Amino acid sequence: MTHIVVDPVTRIEGHLRIEAEVENGLVSSAWSSSTMFRGIEIILQGRDPRDAWAFTQRICGVCTTVHAIASIRAVEDAIGAVPPPNARVLRNLIMAAQCVQDHVVHFYHLHALDWVDVVSALSADPAATATLAQSISDWPESSPTYFAGIKARIKAFVDRGQLGPFGNAYWGHPAYKLPPEANLLAVAHYLAALEWQREFIKLHAVLGGKNPHLQSFLVGGMATPVDPSSQAALNIHTITMLRKLIEGARAFVSRVYIPDLLAIASFYKDWAGHGAGVGNYLVYGEYPMTEGANAPRYLPSGVIRNRDLSKLEPFDPGKITEQITHSWYKYAGGDDTALHPSVGETHPTYTGPKPPYDRLDTAAKYSWLKSPRYDGQPMEVGPLARMLVAYVSGHAQVKTLVDGALGKLGVGPEALFSTLGRVAARGLETQLLVDKIGDWVEELAGNMDKGDLRIHDTDRWDPSSWPKDAMGAGFHEAPRGALGHWVHIKDGKIAGYQCVVPSTWNAGPRDSRGQSGPYEAALLGTPVADPEQPLEILRTVHSFDPCMACGVHVVDAKGRELARVQVR
Amino acid sequence: MREPTRSEPANDRIPLLVLGLGNVLCTDDGAGVVALHRLRRAWAMAEGVVTVDGGTLGLALLPMVERAERVLMIDAVRGDGPPGTPVRITGDDVAPAVYERLSPHQIGVADLLGGAAMLGRYPSAVVIVGVVPASVDLGFERTPAVEASLPGLVTRVVAELTAMGFPPTPLVAGALQERNLDDAARALGF
Repeated sequence: MTHIVVDPVTRIEGHLRIEAEVENGLVSSAWSSSTMFRGIEIILQGRDPRDAWAFTQRICGVCTTVHAIASIRAVEDAIGAVPPPNARVLRNLIMAAQCVQDHVVHFYHLHALDWVDVVSALSADPAATATLAQSISDWPESSPTYFAGIKARIKAFVDRGQLGPFGNAYWGHPAYKLPPEANLLAVAHYLAALEWQREFIKLHAVLGGKNPHLQSFLVGGMATPVDPSSQAALNIHTITMLRKLIEGARAFVSRVYIPDLLAIASFYKDWAGHGAGVGNYLVYGEYPMTEGANAPRYLPSGVIRNRDLSKLEPFDPGKITEQITHSWYKYAGGDDTALHPSVGETHPTYTGPKPPYDRLDTAAKYSWLKSPRYDGQPMEVGPLARMLVAYVSGHAQVKTLVDGALGKLGVGPEALFSTLGRVAARGLETQLLVDKIGDWVEELAGNMDKGDLRIHDTDRWDPSSWPKDAMGAGFHEAPRGALGHWVHIKDGKIAGYQCVVPSTWNAGPRDSRGQSGPYEAALLGTPVADPEQPLEILRTVHSFDPCMACGVHVVDAKGRELARVQVR
Repeated sequence: MREPTRSEPANDRIPLLVLGLGNVLCTDDGAGVVALHRLRRAWAMAEGVVTVDGGTLGLALLPMVERAERVLMIDAVRGDGPPGTPVRITGDDVAPAVYERLSPHQIGVADLLGGAAMLGRYPSAVVIVGVVPASVDLGFERTPAVEASLPGLVTRVVAELTAMGFPPTPLVAGALQERNLDDAARALGF
């Protein structure tokens, strides 16, 4: 038996470490651990709840908007503020734009290199690549000259030894299946996506101010004035600019991302048989279509259990708990209890080995993540969960998109419960959102026409209007999945705060009953061709879009280090 | 919309981009961001200088970096010497440094510079100035040694700006340059 450790060195948000045992070429056991403590809850104690979003926005460098949204929603829930329609629409625009940009960046810049061999692209024939590109899309940049130029650019990087983002990977690994031309096409679009995403994210600058950390959030609404005739507000020119950016996004997603996704997936259909995971899916719902807590969402909430697509349960926030049996925390009432986040505790108690170490004691506590459970069960969250819940609920556009993709790949709905299903669902959600987001721009324009310029519920701004003691919950579907913030406000100050983030749902450790978290379950049965280059493990972990990439070192069963490779 | 926090040249190029980097929730990791905000409060930037609180953002900063002729990054940098020791990195040392010596919380900076290089828009000069951190554990305050080093860090940034031909002008002592303070920074109390 070979023991593999995929140890995150450094990444955007935290550190993820995967330990896996491989028997007869298949993963037989896996453990997921976060090795970095995050305790925003502690820092927020005693602060003004109206400022909480400015702190939570700094939790993560890739998810700034999502923690701001969840935080202001939690506080609004506690104090009873109801944002007016313009604020809801602006938030929908900001959230959808974040999701679209994040998904494209994930596909091309964080995940594609698990499937695309950059070195193989160097032996591609540019003319044949052009033929391939033109056969899957009418995207105009598809000439032999264009692909020859890209090839020369990549070759120059390789020759100078300046691989940069391409530097740490398993080029030549037998699990890479794409022909050289498909590899070159994907690398060309890696660069095109880099150009496109930095153009598209200007949408955030338009709506959130010039600072890269959005400044326009406000408990009760938004801080950005809306006025069609004012230079200092979101106005007619803003609407024109938003329409243009969204048109560009639709073009890129429909004509580049989706064709690439389907073309690459067609070479990796075996991955529809790997990475299934826990088979339970949880969605809080997102993109409210009207005002108020019970507004219908464009992407509905719901729960699916045991891969049963014939049944959709309503989401009940009261069924969420967090356990710490295998997490480096203490609960006052005992470590095997399960606590609802509204009464959650964050008492760090590290009992793991002193770093650097070879193995974690996975029989004991082994992660800084808690184990979130819904009705006692582990749940997968994220784009796949959202697409499944929408599909089962009969969402017409989602049904069309999902059935269309399954038809093109010639696979049935059961293929969705897989690593490939996760990758596909992310792309389909991106398409869904770029098709929808324009409606919100028109809603905003319509409100301006009607003279409805309200942007903020000011009735609840003053703390004297708040209850002495109030609890609130803020739910959001972040790009990576269901995100919840819970706040307890007492005498105008934060008395308690808990965040349950998507990567905790997906990457959390085993619970008190020994049930694996989604990453741990998804890795079971994953084939590993070469334990020194565990590319296949990364494919499944990356399919969840963890907010961190990893460095890998591989040890044999005695804990002796065989190789150390940093990967993304 | 809010008043821009910088004066941009007409041709959309940024002659000098100053980036404060790091996670302000992780004690000394936030040293660069705090130094940036203190710089803004005490000094008026010369024409052509854009100052940005980059936090732990990665590719989201690409629209600025690719327009920048020079980039000055302020950050906590692992290095020899006790906490608070000044560090300066330039030229060929920058690329390995962003992979190995910046804090774990901002590997996005490597993606950022890699992306600019891939697009053929790597700035002509990149300089990192910073201090050696004592701790990057959770915590909103800087450790005493690093806190004590921050005035020196701001002074070094001013010297770098001056050496690059963009000398800033001191603001009247104690006068907050409100327009340069964003809401979040105000809430965070830098």
